[in-house]
Amino acid sequence: MKVAQFLDFEWRAFALAVAGSALLCGSPSVADEVDGQAKFAAPQRIKAGEAFVGAGRLYPSPVFYDVNGDGHKDIVVGDLFGRVTFAAGTERGLTPETPLLDSSGKALKFQNW
Amino acid sequence: MGSQFVDFNADGHVDYISATFDGSPHVSYGSKEGFGTPERIKDARGQRIRISSIWNYESKKHENLEQTSNGKERRERCISALAFDWDSDGDYDLLLGSYEGGHLYRQMNEGTNAAPKFTGKNIPVMAGDKPFELAAKMTAPRLVDWDGDGDMDLIAGSFGDSYGPNGTGGGVYLSRNNGSVGKPAFAALETLIAPSPKGHAAPTRPDAGLYVDAVDYDGDGDLDLVVGGYSMWKEAPRELTAEEQAIVAKLKSENAVAVMKRNAVAKKQAAAVKAATAGLDYSNPEYQKKASEVYKEFRPEYMGAMKQVQAIGKKLGKYVPAPQRQAFVWLYERK
Repeated sequence: MKVAQFLDFEWRAFALAVAGSALLCGSPSVADEVDGQAKFAAPQRIKAGEAFVGAGRLYPSPVFYDVNGDGHKDIVVGDLFGRVTFAAGTERGLTPETPLLDSSGKALKFQNW
Repeated sequence: MGSQFVDFNADGHVDYISATFDGSPHVSYGSKEGFGTPERIKDARGQRIRISSIWNYESKKHENLEQTSNGKERRERCISALAFDWDSDGDYDLLLGSYEGGHLYRQMNEGTNAAPKFTGKNIPVMAGDKPFELAAKMTAPRLVDWDGDGDMDLIAGSFGDSYGPNGTGGGVYLSRNNGSVGKPAFAALETLIAPSPKGHAAPTRPDAGLYVDAVDYDGDGDLDLVVGGYSMWKEAPRELTAEEQAIVAKLKSENAVAVMKRNAVAKKQAAAVKAATAGLDYSNPEYQKKASEVYKEFRPEYMGAMKQVQAIGKKLGKYVPAPQRQAFVWLYERK
């Protein structure tokens, strides 16, 4: 557990160092593939602020989209209950998750059974 | 629930489309003030769009509204939806994903974005020469130009076995669009992330209920995968001293008694519900009322018994690792 947390931290620092202001920005081009198969590094948990994104939620479903229109992609996370959170993408990483608000200032929620 | 941001009604504001386990797609229309209250997307007849099974909010039950050609009930809930201009005629059609069987359907829009007329007819989306299928149950598909050829490919995650410590977990799959804009032709599914074998000693990956998005997370010009899901793990046990072994034995004994007590309360509660609702159909509001009264009456006793089980489990966890299941969101950085 402690090792995993350390790696999560290290990954975040690495991503910030490499990507700099390009983090969560830009348009992707054609990806490199070997024999048509995409290769991935070992998965790492994503943090928003100091907390793991989606932790404690039921079936978190992430989508990246520039919700606040500042040029950085934000992460929007839905869950089984139809609740939605939002963490803003910045040059320093993701801000802590907060409920995505609707036009009346209430937490946006999709109706579920 | 999956999420898609798109200007669904072409009013210049981005809308938010989703579908939940109620079996129908919803849209939260955007405006300059923000997102509105989500509402169901309806077809040209004014019916809520569905695959076959929906949650009826009045009867509080899942209802199957369609049958297969051999007369059996089709039990497929639409739990994901995407707006996609399938035929490139300038308006959004819908892709509807089912939980059971992990099938994908398209429903065409014969109107416009501003005045849609969804046909109510679901046409299976093919993946190669077979209908699109994720037998391990589909979470939600996403449209993305994965191979950079100018058209939208499909990526989708599967649930897999979401509960047991064993069994096979979920994976992530790709169906390339080998057609062209307006004439999509999705290929057979390729595996991007293999289903989880589970059995880890630490949270190392999403093991079940994999919801995926593709984004250039690290800004290196290719698409990475971001995947939400449950990690399921059990830490390796450590060697216990003789004193600790004695404590564990005592706690296990106490746990067995506490579980028996909890189960006895549950049994008593079930019998009380049965007696209180005798002769009433489940769909009868009176049934719900009487059952609720019983649950309320038994709640303190049941919760007390449950808390005792949990408290002992917590103590045991200090000596004997218990299976863990917690959700996170993971980055799969593309090499």
